[in-house]
Amino acid sequence: METPLLLNTLTTLTLLTLLTPIILPPLLNLKNSPMSITKTIKTAFLISLIPTTIFIHSGAESIATHWEWQFIPNFKIPISLKMDMYSMMFFPIALFVTWSILEFATWYMASEPFITKFFTYLLTFLIAMLTLTIANNMFLLFVGWEGVGIMSFLLIGWWQGRAEANTAALQAMIYNRIGDIGLILSMAWLASSLNTWEIQQITHPNQTPTLPLLGLILAATGKSAQFGLHPWLPAAMEGPTPVSALLHSSTMVVAGIFLLIRTHPFLSSNKTALTTCLCLGALSTLFAATCALTQNDIKKIIAFSTSSQLGLMMVTIGLDLPQLAFLHISTHAFFKAMLFLCSGLIIHSLNGEQDIRKMGCLQKTLPMTTSCLTIGNLALMGTPFLAGFYSKDLIIENLNTSYINTWALSLTLLATSFTATYSLRMTLLVQTGHTRTPSNHPINENTPPAILPIMRLALGSIMAGLLISSLILPPKTPPMTMPTITKTAAIIVTTLGIILALELSSLSYSLTPPKHNPLMNFSSSLGYFNPLTHRISPSILLHTGQKIASHLIDMAWYKKMGPEGLANLHLTMTKISTTLHTGLIKSYLGSFALTILTTILLIQK
Amino acid sequence: MAAVGRGGVLWRQAAGWLWAARAAAAAPPGARAASGLTKDQLPGPYPRTAEERAAAAKKYNMRVEDYQPYPDDGFGYGDYPMLPNKSIHERDPWYQWDQPDMRRNWGEPMHWDFDMYIRNRVDTSPTPVPWHTMRNHFLIFLGTMLVMFVLGEIYPSYRPVGPKQYPFNDLYLEKGGDPNKEPPVVTHYKI
Amino acid sequence: MLASLGRSAGRLLRVGGVAAGRRHAGGEVHIEPRYRQFPELTRSQVVWSEVLSGFMWFWILWHFWHSSDSVLGHFPYPDSSAWTDEELGIPPDDAE
Repeated sequence: METPLLLNTLTTLTLLTLLTPIILPPLLNLKNSPMSITKTIKTAFLISLIPTTIFIHSGAESIATHWEWQFIPNFKIPISLKMDMYSMMFFPIALFVTWSILEFATWYMASEPFITKFFTYLLTFLIAMLTLTIANNMFLLFVGWEGVGIMSFLLIGWWQGRAEANTAALQAMIYNRIGDIGLILSMAWLASSLNTWEIQQITHPNQTPTLPLLGLILAATGKSAQFGLHPWLPAAMEGPTPVSALLHSSTMVVAGIFLLIRTHPFLSSNKTALTTCLCLGALSTLFAATCALTQNDIKKIIAFSTSSQLGLMMVTIGLDLPQLAFLHISTHAFFKAMLFLCSGLIIHSLNGEQDIRKMGCLQKTLPMTTSCLTIGNLALMGTPFLAGFYSKDLIIENLNTSYINTWALSLTLLATSFTATYSLRMTLLVQTGHTRTPSNHPINENTPPAILPIMRLALGSIMAGLLISSLILPPKTPPMTMPTITKTAAIIVTTLGIILALELSSLSYSLTPPKHNPLMNFSSSLGYFNPLTHRISPSILLHTGQKIASHLIDMAWYKKMGPEGLANLHLTMTKISTTLHTGLIKSYLGSFALTILTTILLIQK
Repeated sequence: MAAVGRGGVLWRQAAGWLWAARAAAAAPPGARAASGLTKDQLPGPYPRTAEERAAAAKKYNMRVEDYQPYPDDGFGYGDYPMLPNKSIHERDPWYQWDQPDMRRNWGEPMHWDFDMYIRNRVDTSPTPVPWHTMRNHFLIFLGTMLVMFVLGEIYPSYRPVGPKQYPFNDLYLEKGGDPNKEPPVVTHYKI
Repeated sequence: MLASLGRSAGRLLRVGGVAAGRRHAGGEVHIEPRYRQFPELTRSQVVWSEVLSGFMWFWILWHFWHSSDSVLGHFPYPDSSAWTDEELGIPPDDAE
């Protein structure tokens, strides 16, 4: 049988399997349950393994065009799916992670009255994400892009009775819309100048102009929470923990990076765009890591670490190594989803307590969860041979051996060091020391739907790095030889970060109240970005809106242009002419003479 | 009507539009109401005497000391009280408000721009660090980063194995050397 | 690690899989919330946590033993100052 045909059929089958819980119930009068949706995703995961295996075995890429939207003549919008390394590797990973998270959610959200709706939302989100991944057409990609955006809004604001959740959902929506402006502008540019939205046809003969690329970068900035448009990601932690685990760590937020990976041939010909990516990524990764250092909310710490890792992926894009960024997306999905699930279990066990200062000694009371938390943190730090190592170490090595911006390199190394610091700080405060939890808490982790997904993902975080990196083809020839100091740079800075964390946490056990110093304040108030922008911009916008709506007509027509303006005009003219009325015959004659002279000059011409 | 009267201008406006709509539906097309709002829905005239101030303060359920009308500059604020620009974030979340999500009691005067100061929008609560310090530190951070990125772009980091070697005497002519002079001999090796 | 296992196992109530009393709707072990006491742990919980951590360390150490070059560098970096004239094919100074 032909390999492309098999690939196409089985991939479509995966997607169709996912669609069944949405399509079938209204048709056949069936009823969904959280369990049925979870099992659908599990089935889809198992099915998706087949095309992936075929792909790895044969290396055959394929593009399947299913239907064409004849919207305008001469401009085709086909529904074309691309089965290449990225989509084929991402499918099983995304499905595996989602399956685990949904299974966890059957336990975590068990008391939720609308749990089936919640699961349907998650499923819809997953379908949108997979559409985005497999799309070979900017239009289809945009459908998936907006789909994940909308589902993110709905899921962050799931507990809609809380004003904080609403605010966070609004923030996510607004920041993503800013990014969408960039995407739409780039798509408009593509349609008007290249006359195609097919990604494989997007190649510019010469160097691509910078402006459409900046649009794409803006889109990625919004979706992947890079510096400038980042505050929505930590705020999104107001949503339920499974949502944070699925959307805001492993899948949705990497959509921006994924867009840049997809459009990479287009991007790589422009040096300015690549440098922008590099600097933006370096700034984001350091900024987020700095903010994570002093946070006390366990979910916020993990959120900022996600933001920091997204910055690292952006740096990799800027290095012109999209395959490596994809590798980091893949490995990151496992341990970040698991960290969130562990934090969810801890929060649930402590009756909703999220503050790591009120945890402690959970190593003894929640042994399985904390073991997994440690594995996740170690993988995040890039401990050798865990998942994070395979991507992170390669990225740092490539950074060290490339011809790049010195400051971007130092920021990234510093952020790598900070990764170790905040991970270890979290580990120390949550798992060791004295118990600081409330005295009455329902600690129980013996629930299979809660602990099995975590353990599955823990195994993934241990082994996925080796599996994925040995299965996908390396991008270019990786740097094979380098001095030992360069080779071990990632591990050295991580060790430095660990030492720093030990030093910092020994401070936190002393009873002296923390002193306010500018650096500490900067880090703990999120770099002052949120208080500044979230206060100025709405107040300016709303004030201006109010003024335009209610005062513009009054001020402009009835007042400034009307009576008051006329009066002012007359007053000014009167004042000017009064100065001439001095009663001196000389000045009158002078003005006559001047007038006559001017007139003669004009006539003679 | 009393409840509406205590509510605030926004509620009155809404009620006024309803009234206007109803009036428009009922009245013959030629007859037009002089205004969209009836007189007791609008704020009263600007209070000039102490008695008028007291009456206005009582109308808005405020104490006379707290009552401060908008300046009478012709924008039609009338006797509407000028409340401090404080957002709902600043109000006590644990107090038993009559309307908890708005953190508002019944009959409490509403800010003229109250929809700007709800919890999803502008937050005016005090910050641990003063505003100017925050702004300066953030700008310093951003400025340092930009300057250092430019510097990093000028002096990039790379690992050269040896100096770059070019043909034609290190591109002597291409680099703008004088063709009449004898180019200097470049040796890239050392014995 | 073994010592900590022994210590925590000693403090454990021996709650074997089913023996933990009432059962929940999901069929999992049910553990009563406690007030000011160390929460009950099941034996499988502790064993599994140790197995997971042990597997992680096994994985790390096993790979470190067999492929330590992916941490420490695959090939030595060429040091141009150490190259001899003979390797580079440069004749000695007194040749001619």
